Amino acid sequence: MTLAFTYDLGSYVAENWEFLLKGLERTLLVSAIAIVGAFVIGAVLGAARAHHIPVLSQLAGVYVEIFRNTPILVQIFFLYYALPQVGIKLDAATVAWLSVMVWGGAYNTENFRAGFEAVAARFREAASALGFGKLATFLNVTLPIGGRIALPSSINTYIAVLKNTALLYPIAYEELTTSALQINALTLETWETFTVLGVVYLTLVWSLSAAIRLVEGRLALPETR
Amino acid sequence: MPDWVEPVARYMFEVGLRGTLKIAAIAVVGSTLVGVVLGTLITIRFWPSRWLIRLYIEVWRGLPIIVTIFAVFFLLPTLGSQLDFDPFTSAAIGLTLWGSAQVAEATRGAVASIPHEQHEAASALGFGWVGRHTYVILPQALRRLIPPLVGLLIGVIQNSTLALVIGARELLSTAQQSVDRLTAPPAFGGIGEIHAIELYGAVAVVFFLICFPLSRLARFLEQRLVV
Repeated sequence: MTLAFTYDLGSYVAENWEFLLKGLERTLLVSAIAIVGAFVIGAVLGAARAHHIPVLSQLAGVYVEIFRNTPILVQIFFLYYALPQVGIKLDAATVAWLSVMVWGGAYNTENFRAGFEAVAARFREAASALGFGKLATFLNVTLPIGGRIALPSSINTYIAVLKNTALLYPIAYEELTTSALQINALTLETWETFTVLGVVYLTLVWSLSAAIRLVEGRLALPETR
Repeated sequence: MPDWVEPVARYMFEVGLRGTLKIAAIAVVGSTLVGVVLGTLITIRFWPSRWLIRLYIEVWRGLPIIVTIFAVFFLLPTLGSQLDFDPFTSAAIGLTLWGSAQVAEATRGAVASIPHEQHEAASALGFGWVGRHTYVILPQALRRLIPPLVGLLIGVIQNSTLALVIGARELLSTAQQSVDRLTAPPAFGGIGEIHAIELYGAVAVVFFLICFPLSRLARFLEQRLVV
């Protein structure tokens, strides 16, 4: 097969920008929902793990091990293709945010557990000496300090969540990668397609990585600065 | 046990699991070789090579692996027919690009952690750059590299499922084929039953049985290193 090799990024973008933008919107929306959800899951279950809250801590442990030790693509397939067998029918949009959120939550639980466990016991002792109850100690001492310690690793998890939205391609959820490949299937403008995908993903991921470094400096604990 | 189980299980293990392990093995070996070399070379203070290797690391770490695999599968053939790889090889190449970037970054850190004196002592013994790194620096850096390499192995095994999107046969894709085949009516060679929970569940269990011990091993090796 010999095709004349043409590369015209300008007309590719001009013709497809609306469709690509729609895909990017979905990628960002799903990522945003999943990141917020993963933050909440991580903070709550991470606290349960770090403080050895009976039952909840063990359940969180099982959740973390299951989702970290199976491929996320298998998890997506299970939610989308297997659950309907028992009458649970989730549409692609629901599976989209749910799958990446639950996956990110498992990694984030570990991030926050490590962060909370790294908070020196003397801080908590000081809080209880000041008459803080257990919950007040957690909210005013452990969460702000441990949360900062966990911040770099949790942002890494959020970056992975963003990249994992591309795995929604097999269930035909039209996020950025799916949209771009649909255009590619019609136009065969492969180099243009992958230029757009590469530029968009690397811009997003590199900006978030830069944000880590910025945030690390700004939120560093006074002691370590 | 129902009649359909045995042939399906045989297919998923003999074709699917074997494919998964083969892709993972190629990608782990490739990633380690390329990654250790690049991670060592980036410690040389020569900005063009540093900049190029840094770009390599950030690009392949930054892209979703599925995009990389698609790019290998769709873009390389346009450059020449000898670069037209089958789905299996394309997936292994895509995973190797991602994995080698991870290994390169880990190697850079491990090599940089070896104290100056080791370099100086090796130079004093008459080793050149290559000999110094091959016989003195890398063997010591390797100790720090083993936990991330186990982590890489887990990542590569899990991400080998992405080969499915370009049609390579691995564990998840053979499960998908089996589910589809069983669902078909008897006239089309199926049995008209849906067994998605069982088969995708089995895939999850197999991956868990492989990855869980490995992740415990990685944690153990990491803790041993700290002491």
